[in-house]
Amino acid sequence: MAGFLATVDFSNPYFAVLVLLVIALAMSVGFVLLSQALGPKRYDRIKYGVYECGVDPVTPASVRVSVKFYLLAILFILFDLETAFLYPWAVLFRSLGLFGFIEMAIFVGILLVGLVYAWKKGALEWQ
Amino acid sequence: MFLGNLASLRFFLPEFAVTATILLLVLLHVVTKSPRSAASGFLSLLGVGAAILLAGITPPGDGRSIFEGMVAHDGFAVFFKVLTALATLVVIFMSMDSKDMEGRSQAEYYIFLLSTLLGMFLLSSATDIVMLYLALELVSIPSYLLAGYLKGQERSTEAAMKYVVYGATASGVMIYGFSLLFGLTGSTQIAEIGRSLAAGKATLPMLLAAVMVAVGFGYKIAAVPFHMWSPDVYEGAPTPATAFFSVGPKAAGFAVLVRFYYTVFAAADPGTGLWRLTSAVDWPFLFAALSALTMTVGNLVAVQQNNVKRLLAYSSIAHAGYMLMGFVLLSPAGIQAILFYLVVYLFMNLGAFYVVVVVSNSARGEDISDFSGLGTRAPFAAVALAIFLFSLTGIPPFSGFIGKVYLFAEVIRREVYWLAVVAALNSVVSLYYYARIVRAMFLEEPKDASALLVPAVPRAMLVLLAAPTLILGVYWEPVARIANDSVRMLAF
Repeated sequence: MAGFLATVDFSNPYFAVLVLLVIALAMSVGFVLLSQALGPKRYDRIKYGVYECGVDPVTPASVRVSVKFYLLAILFILFDLETAFLYPWAVLFRSLGLFGFIEMAIFVGILLVGLVYAWKKGALEWQ
Repeated sequence: MFLGNLASLRFFLPEFAVTATILLLVLLHVVTKSPRSAASGFLSLLGVGAAILLAGITPPGDGRSIFEGMVAHDGFAVFFKVLTALATLVVIFMSMDSKDMEGRSQAEYYIFLLSTLLGMFLLSSATDIVMLYLALELVSIPSYLLAGYLKGQERSTEAAMKYVVYGATASGVMIYGFSLLFGLTGSTQIAEIGRSLAAGKATLPMLLAAVMVAVGFGYKIAAVPFHMWSPDVYEGAPTPATAFFSVGPKAAGFAVLVRFYYTVFAAADPGTGLWRLTSAVDWPFLFAALSALTMTVGNLVAVQQNNVKRLLAYSSIAHAGYMLMGFVLLSPAGIQAILFYLVVYLFMNLGAFYVVVVVSNSARGEDISDFSGLGTRAPFAAVALAIFLFSLTGIPPFSGFIGKVYLFAEVIRREVYWLAVVAALNSVVSLYYYARIVRAMFLEEPKDASALLVPAVPRAMLVLLAAPTLILGVYWEPVARIANDSVRMLAF
């Protein structure tokens, strides 16, 4: 261990990163353990209730969101990314030439297969 | 010597074959109406077969890296491409008649399987940390889906959930390590990073980076202490997928482990024919400790298992430990031993899982008690499983013995005696739990004495898997030579 310490270069700027890492770890783990050890444990109905700025909760806290939004969000990201790729390509279209055209055709083609899949699976219908 | 994008395309044919098959499978899935269509299985077989052929005949590149230095095209990558594709091929056969898949869509399952294969191709050849991370995620994400494929089954869902949580944590830690490396060197190319690190003296950040990256790779090969996900995932996933996880992603994990550590933290020394460390970071010792820990924990916990899938999960953890022995020696012969062991392991482990699939198809379970009396109920399957299990133990004349001989010989030649002793003791422990299954099969009375019918396809596949397990135990020279050539192409 002493031999290892001798090899450590304390003046290295990255030493600070290690120190930060250790302190951050110690603090986050330490506080959890401390509150676990020191905190009084009195469980009653109010304690288990939903926290709403001290006021009694009026409605259940967990609002049910339809899972269909999730599907929609995924599809949105997919085709949003497609446009993100299309913009720079369109700007450089002339200089990229035929190679760029074929490359983008393949890319859009692959995404098209994904669209066909989503469509046929009924992901675009709201039922 | 980087090849441009267009010039690289002709070295990328196996990946194209797999990608085209995936797209065709997607289209096939939306066209066919029946939930279980054999067509998707045959299409996947065709695609993977084509990928193996193309990997074999793709001309060796003159430059080391293609696609502007993103992926390597060398013998080492080709070796792992063929290995992982072979594993996928066997798993497709296994899935086609697994009862786990009954009434479920098969095409989607094969899409995930082949996406993982594509990821493994890229993972075993990535030479850029961004590409490497992307490939690792491409292996992981379809694997999560495969683990949770038995929708509606609690265990399968739990397996997928655990896999995602552990996987996300491990890859998060790993990419933090990558960011440190990038910060130190200003490059994402692993060869470039290796050269910069060799010139500098930044020991502490290098140690941090080496350890953090080890978390990500250790998770992929299921090395202790990053193995916690594997027994639950192996038990909950459909059995063919379990067989796949225990061989494919593990092999790809070893490929990236070797390529990354031997390029970034070591340099080939043509004078001695060995690698030498380029820093004061003693990562070989770190991995030697992991290796000893991995095989010991894997074997000791396997002893207590009653479910054969769980038992094989812990045994595969132990085998990762054996293979890590070759990784820490910094010698080409050590890497060669890993590659040889992976080939042997592919046949014997997939073979053992194949018998488990056959038995659980009829018994609807895979406890050791479901195997009792298998010797009289299905002598053929029982003898095959006995061959695979004894080979996994490492008993002559089976190929597992030769694999272990290569590993042990190199460990002793490099004078790491303590590791050899630990591994030898572990092999003794492993005999106990492998023999327990054999004992149940041949010495115990069956719960249900009716004959267990083994259909023709599993029968043929068991022969095809048992044959190399036996033959490589007697005549292993060609495979050893291929392994040796693949290592030479990596560095010297």
